[in-house]
Amino acid sequence: MSSAPNVTPQEPSSLAAVLSYLIPGLGQIYQGRYGKGVLFMVSLLGMFLLGQAMGKWQNVYVPDARNQPGGRGNLISGLMIRWHYGGQFWIGIAAWPALWQHYGMTVPEKDTNPFWHNFQKTPEESEVNNFLRISDKTPDLGWVYTVIAGMLNLLVIYDAYVGPLPIPPVWRGAKESFPAKTEVTKEAAV
Amino acid sequence: MLVSLSIYWHLPLMLLVISLVYSATRHDAWDDILVEAFRWGIRMFGFMVLVAIVLFAVAYLM
Repeated sequence: MSSAPNVTPQEPSSLAAVLSYLIPGLGQIYQGRYGKGVLFMVSLLGMFLLGQAMGKWQNVYVPDARNQPGGRGNLISGLMIRWHYGGQFWIGIAAWPALWQHYGMTVPEKDTNPFWHNFQKTPEESEVNNFLRISDKTPDLGWVYTVIAGMLNLLVIYDAYVGPLPIPPVWRGAKESFPAKTEVTKEAAV
Repeated sequence: MLVSLSIYWHLPLMLLVISLVYSATRHDAWDDILVEAFRWGIRMFGFMVLVAIVLFAVAYLM
């Protein structure tokens, strides 16, 4: 079993971090760490897309809080009603259509392209209720996957910025975590 | 069809993906990544089994 840290120190790279935010793994690919980059890209985008599909493409959005008591039309009010987007946002560009929809920017016509017209748009409440009534637990797992994908990408961004997160010595086993203990004891005995 | 067998068919896949991605953010060498991913996979699987046992026991006793 390999438990010792095998990490090459690297210079902080803001550009790689930004690239990994935009598309998971892109920062690692930019740094020449192709294997990890492709792993992050395929895994996290795959998880995010699977999660959306499980929720019938209706679980990534910023709600419009204007119709809620005390709610305003801004982003914070929307997140106060439904916090999920706070986690989903970190997947990068893949979650930006929700902001696009929230700010009411131009989208394809409903008649010509209904999927992209409604993509990451706040769904009608009655529509969501009907969908959940006839569904099993799949939609609930779906939004969880989208949030996990976003949260994991925070670690990927950190990895792109300064390299792998250091593992605290105590996690690597007691034998390695206190190597100086015996030396101290010997010194104390002398 | 796998999908019709259980609504949880994707859980093993997610366990694998989450273990691998998390471990890859802690190591650079593939040997270390795979060993760490295996460890985390076992831990998460154990936790899920524990939760399943508790839920089963609660449902059985109620």
